[in-house]
Amino acid sequence: MSFLSFAWDWLKQPQQWHGPDGIPIRILEQLGYTALSLVIAALIAIPVGILIGHTGRGALFAVNLANAGRAIPTLGLLVLLAVTLGFSPLAWLVPLVLLAIPPILVNAYEGVAGVDPGLKDAARGMGMTPWQQIRKVEVPVAMPLIVLGLRTGAIFVVATATIAAYIGLGGLGRYIIDGLATENYGEVAGGAALVVVLALAVQAFFTGVRRLAVPAGVRQQGRPS
Amino acid sequence: MITFEGVTKRYPDGTVAVDHLDLEVPAGQTMVLVGPSGCGKTTTLRMINRLIEPSSGRILLDGQDIQRSNQSELRRGIGYVIQQSGLFPNRTIEDNIATVPLLIGWKKARARARARELMTLVGLDEQLARRYPYQLSGGQQQRVGVARALAADPPVLLMDEPFSAVDPIVRATLQDELIKLQAELHKTIVLVTHDVEEAIKVGDQVAIFRPHGHIAQVDSPERLLAAPADSYVENFLGFDRGIRRLSFLAASGLNLDDRTVVEEDTAASVAARAGRDTGEDWVLVVDAGRKPRGWAAVARLDSLPAGSPAREATLEPYGHTFSVHGDSLRSALDATVLSPAGRAVGVDDDGRVVGTTSYDRLRVAIHAAEQAADRSAAPGNGTAAGAQRQDTAAGTA
Amino acid sequence: MDWSAVPTYIWESAYLGIVPALLGLVISVPLGIACVRWKWLYPPVLSGASVLYALPSLALFIVLIPYTGLTDTTVIIPLTLFSLCVLVPNVVDGLRSVPEDVRQAATAMGFGALRRLAQVELPIAVPVVIAGLRVAVVSSISLASVGQLIGVSSLGYLIIDGYQRDFVTEILIGGGLIIALALVCDVLLVLLRRALTPWRPRRGRRERAQILIGDPAVAAQAGGAG
Repeated sequence: MSFLSFAWDWLKQPQQWHGPDGIPIRILEQLGYTALSLVIAALIAIPVGILIGHTGRGALFAVNLANAGRAIPTLGLLVLLAVTLGFSPLAWLVPLVLLAIPPILVNAYEGVAGVDPGLKDAARGMGMTPWQQIRKVEVPVAMPLIVLGLRTGAIFVVATATIAAYIGLGGLGRYIIDGLATENYGEVAGGAALVVVLALAVQAFFTGVRRLAVPAGVRQQGRPS
Repeated sequence: MITFEGVTKRYPDGTVAVDHLDLEVPAGQTMVLVGPSGCGKTTTLRMINRLIEPSSGRILLDGQDIQRSNQSELRRGIGYVIQQSGLFPNRTIEDNIATVPLLIGWKKARARARARELMTLVGLDEQLARRYPYQLSGGQQQRVGVARALAADPPVLLMDEPFSAVDPIVRATLQDELIKLQAELHKTIVLVTHDVEEAIKVGDQVAIFRPHGHIAQVDSPERLLAAPADSYVENFLGFDRGIRRLSFLAASGLNLDDRTVVEEDTAASVAARAGRDTGEDWVLVVDAGRKPRGWAAVARLDSLPAGSPAREATLEPYGHTFSVHGDSLRSALDATVLSPAGRAVGVDDDGRVVGTTSYDRLRVAIHAAEQAADRSAAPGNGTAAGAQRQDTAAGTA
Repeated sequence: MDWSAVPTYIWESAYLGIVPALLGLVISVPLGIACVRWKWLYPPVLSGASVLYALPSLALFIVLIPYTGLTDTTVIIPLTLFSLCVLVPNVVDGLRSVPEDVRQAATAMGFGALRRLAQVELPIAVPVVIAGLRVAVVSSISLASVGQLIGVSSLGYLIIDGYQRDFVTEILIGGGLIIALALVCDVLLVLLRRALTPWRPRRGRRERAQILIGDPAVAAQAGGAG
């Protein structure tokens, strides 16, 4: 049987849609973890990234952060914290936030650092304070990349949260992990299919956000040549 | 020899870059295409090696239509030098120069040896051979570009604003070296520039383009300066045309005066008399080797105690000298203007004073030279090799 | 505690990390060349890559199970696709980074398109491609450990085993070795780049971090400039 038939067989069972282990709840849980981690990561990463981009200090750190973030095995981090912290929510929250920070930070940094130096010069020359420069010129121009960083971060979080089911987290990963444990491939497939759909939805959501949040003039110049 | 016959280049959006161009580039000479931005000179150049294909008309290279040759083969026989040099950053200097020879099948050793030969020819230290382009200055990179174009000894060399990206001092040096090179190699060179001074300095023939791909005049630089075809050409050549033209007239035609040249040990009174006898206020003092030392005012010589040598008078600097054999009337005129005495010092190849000139003598020489030039440029006297006048009635933008 | 199996795990992690990246490279070079040659091809390829990159690796492993079972291939295929997503923009960027005057000079000297690609454009693109390769290799090594959840063995085994036994040291060793392996591969690739590009100034321009981020859409955002 193919993946889709397995998944479909399981998904069309009405009981999957009810109760505490039901699909709607799990979806909400996954979205919840994602949103929470993303917000925390963004609150940390965006200001730091903007600051590094504006002042130019710590650029080396920013660039290498992405590489470092990529090298850390998600499963390892999750499992490590689970064992050392026990049932604390930090066991999953910290890894999710930590893994979301690099893309958000680096993109915010590159977005601000990549602003046309002529533009920055003009802003300084006009007498804008640094804060004004950031708020009125640098951030708007960096918007496409900042949102892109959020999108990448969101995707990382969705993927990590799925894996975090292994250490007991709820969400759609639950189906995958439980299904693997009970050798119920239908459940595994169903879970995987839902995760895929969710990931695509999150991707589409941020693509939409980008259209709305980015001022039209900036969007024009952002098109690939 | 390169011939353009009715060549037109029209782009899909309607712009006409080159319009029914007829032009003959004489073999073994430097033809400079010059004109304002967008006039079609670069397009014309790039049609020669088929980087751009004409919409209509023919281009003949040594009598053969270039359309009939294979593109790549045609290009391997034509050297191409561009503004940004286009050196391959991933190859050493010698491998860059050896590119075309290697392409046509030379053995590596032979190609590299040829590369080193060319490096010497264009004035590059051989030690740079194994370096990479990023390690060279702009001027050096341009020389490599020229060497690379010459590597397979192509009969034709195309140059597209080759010296525009370097600073003026380097540019002047490179221009001089190109002239020297051409004197040795006698390639058919087509050079595009927007700088009319460069065109005049470097070109044997200069084609001045109007906007939108018409030629206003094709002539030798000297003829252009002497007889511009219309006001467009005149404006393009810029002011000072008369004086600039003098650089094409040899200083050897000057009748120099040596009566007021005195050796430094001559008695001041004798020197002063030499000046008075010829009606001049200044006398040129020279040393034992007849090298110039400076101008002495007759009045000052008179004020010296009797018997003092001329050298003890206060001497004004003699300024620029001009070479009687090599320089032009323009140099002589320039030297005259700069001299406090209103007279210039003409020297021979060893730096020894031959005589002095004055505004009067210059006037005579200029007149004579111009008449001689006009006579030899008259139709039927066989100058301005083959260049054809273009239809100057074509409208301008 | 059976430590004798660790070298095998290291080898497996390396295998599962490097093979997808190399396969991705082999596919992305022709694909990238095509995207540069036929410009209209690039936007859809990029969109496809963006979408693909968004999918969690675990989900993709699972999708393949009915077809390739619980073997290495199940892990290698999705990781190859991820590597592809990263490498295609890099190949395209690398080729586009060839200065126009260099390309023109090559054509004017009589280089055919293929020769120009092989002797001039691809060599110049090497640094950018290797930057992408670094991302691909490091990501793959790290993601391969997730394959342990479906039983595909690698250093991830130490992590899972350590969790089940509450054995922190084992977890740390597993994770630490993964990171070390990734680091070693990264350094080797940097050395490879240095060896292949003696023609580059040592104090090179800082590599744009977007390319290192690996999100194809981000690469496209930055692409063309710099």
